[in-house]
Amino acid sequence: MTSWLQDASLMAVTLSTWLPFISFLLIIVFTRNQRRLSAGIAIGAVACSLAGAIFLLVRHWGDSVPIQYSARWLVTGDVYIPFGYLLDPLSLLMLCLVAAISFLVQVYSVGYMAGDPGFSRYYAFQSLFAWAMMTLTMSSAMLQLYVFWELVGLSSYLLIGFWYEKFSATQAGKKAFVMTRLGDVAFFIGLLLVLLHLGNLEILEMNSSEAAAHMPPGLLTLAALLIFGGIVGKSAQFPLMTWLPDAMEGPTPVSALLHSATMVAAGVYLFARLFPFLTHSADAITVFLVIGTVSMLLASTMAMVSRDIKRVWAYSTISQLGFMIMGLAAGSLFAGSFHLTTHAGFKALLFLCSGVWVHLYETNDVYDISRRGGRRLKIPMACLVIAAAALSGLPPLSGFFSKEVILEALAGLRNPVWLAAALLGVFLTAYYAFRLVFIILFPRGEVQEEPNHHRMGTLYWAMGCPLLVLACVTVVLGLLQMPLRQFLSAGIATHQDSGHAWLFSLSVGLAALGVGVAWFEFGRRAALQVGFVERMPLLKDLFAQRWYLDHVYRRFVDIVIDGFFSKACTKNEDRVINKSIDELSHFTLDSGDLLSFLQSGKLRYNLIVMFAALGLVALYFLVA
Amino acid sequence: MIVPLGHVFVLAGLIFAMGLVCLVAHRNLIMTLIGVEVMMNAAAIAFVAAALRWQLMEGQAFVLFILAVSAAEISLGLMLVVSVYRRTGSIDPDRYDILKW
Repeated sequence: MTSWLQDASLMAVTLSTWLPFISFLLIIVFTRNQRRLSAGIAIGAVACSLAGAIFLLVRHWGDSVPIQYSARWLVTGDVYIPFGYLLDPLSLLMLCLVAAISFLVQVYSVGYMAGDPGFSRYYAFQSLFAWAMMTLTMSSAMLQLYVFWELVGLSSYLLIGFWYEKFSATQAGKKAFVMTRLGDVAFFIGLLLVLLHLGNLEILEMNSSEAAAHMPPGLLTLAALLIFGGIVGKSAQFPLMTWLPDAMEGPTPVSALLHSATMVAAGVYLFARLFPFLTHSADAITVFLVIGTVSMLLASTMAMVSRDIKRVWAYSTISQLGFMIMGLAAGSLFAGSFHLTTHAGFKALLFLCSGVWVHLYETNDVYDISRRGGRRLKIPMACLVIAAAALSGLPPLSGFFSKEVILEALAGLRNPVWLAAALLGVFLTAYYAFRLVFIILFPRGEVQEEPNHHRMGTLYWAMGCPLLVLACVTVVLGLLQMPLRQFLSAGIATHQDSGHAWLFSLSVGLAALGVGVAWFEFGRRAALQVGFVERMPLLKDLFAQRWYLDHVYRRFVDIVIDGFFSKACTKNEDRVINKSIDELSHFTLDSGDLLSFLQSGKLRYNLIVMFAALGLVALYFLVA
Repeated sequence: MIVPLGHVFVLAGLIFAMGLVCLVAHRNLIMTLIGVEVMMNAAAIAFVAAALRWQLMEGQAFVLFILAVSAAEISLGLMLVVSVYRRTGSIDPDRYDILKW
């Protein structure tokens, strides 16, 4: 750390990760009452981070050897815990992504949060979030990553429950926190397993072939699965997915941030980070594939019947994350991380577009938005169409390219089930995305005139500009596939395109079919705007109730936790703890009664006896 | 060190004994508190002397702690005296024989 001023990279990475934290402190301590100043500090800090991230990306473009800076943070016995930064293509790309999305979301929030009583608090939490996520991406060792992983969880808890006067918001925040914690416990146990066998938790060392040499194969699989548990919690995959739709209680920009570059992306990022370690064992890979596929399909079906615009995008996030995990598990690091990048762009765009309507009409219901003239807001409407097309994987938008890469990786697997499931997912995605677009574009029934379209003024532009930037990114990013592939796979042998031309046409065809079905049911003039799923009451209930997952959890908690554990704990407290304390104090009182004849109860006599005894003891030691 | 260590210890012992007498002989809670203070100061003198004799700073540092503790103790003690006076209308420790019951 001696020459950190001379080393431009180290300085840039330190500044860009710590500036948001400084702004968090400044806002919390000093500027809570000055709204404009708070927003200025937060946006300024994250803009500097963005500049630093871009500088690093440009400077290290094409470097094949990862650079690691680390310093001692804690030492206990032989184990020392480092704090450091790891600069390699993956982390640099992610840093850029996080900084860019945070910056855009914070600019957007100037418009969205205007007039909110907690404006400064909001910006403080946003800065905290940015700091936690950026340091997580740059972490050089797993323990540091774990610390910031939890900080990311904490800040999303704070932001989901931001409107804490709403009961549902606090509930949602709590649910998010507790459910991700469940996964994190597994993650931590996995880390301890690795620590016991490897001696440290450096990411580079875990990824090298040494880890496999030091651990027996069964244990390696177990550790990989436990670490994957953390990913399942954070990225809202199959058993722990229900917190994400509820997290929509927070402000919409928070959802945009949560769903694109931070919180849920942290899970997939961790997978990519530990890619060589996690993919050592074939059994573990099968589990990853199963969980990714199941989450992708379940979430897409849920999205098909939801009327809440934000929830539809939340379900689609789960399914796209499942898609990324499938891509990674299929053995292509590039597929997963490229889809993570493009998805961050278009998912943030989708949420921010929806946010404009949610802010203006104060409703989340798609049909309501449509009836009140949602399509007359030109910028969000155009951006929503672009983003939905990218989500469905229509060329030439970014989502198309990244989905192709994943499908290609899946086609390389021996078992065709995964590819078939992914193609079904492509169809469903296009269907639900365009269902929503058509509902908003073609309102049914009478359209209410909204008098307050003009009331936003400049704030509308604060919200509109980030939308336009993100839309440009969504259009352009796909064309950068080749350079990004070279950048990310620097140092690793790239596998050549095996030429799946039929796959390209099949997936585009399926996506187009999805759009077509959506058009038939929601778009054309005579359409009733009732989907084919909604005509089957049983299926509709199943999907709308999220496959009854929450009910199962509720039952589980009622029976096992409340019915058994907490009852046993109450009994233990009553019968064992309280009773033994009572007995002990009764015993003390009784024995005091018995012995009280020995003394007069006068303070001075007691003191005299005490000092006399002390004197005798001193005398004894002097003589002996 | 001009004064021999033994002399200082004798002084400290004498002051300690005076404090002890003050503590047990008076029928007044405030005098009891003063006795405790005097005894603490005797200990402080012994600390300083020892620090000077063996050229170690810890003894002097301890005196600062003793000062701080005695300040805290006296304020707490006076508070207790006031509250005990309000309860019983007296500050004679011999009147409080509830310690026996």
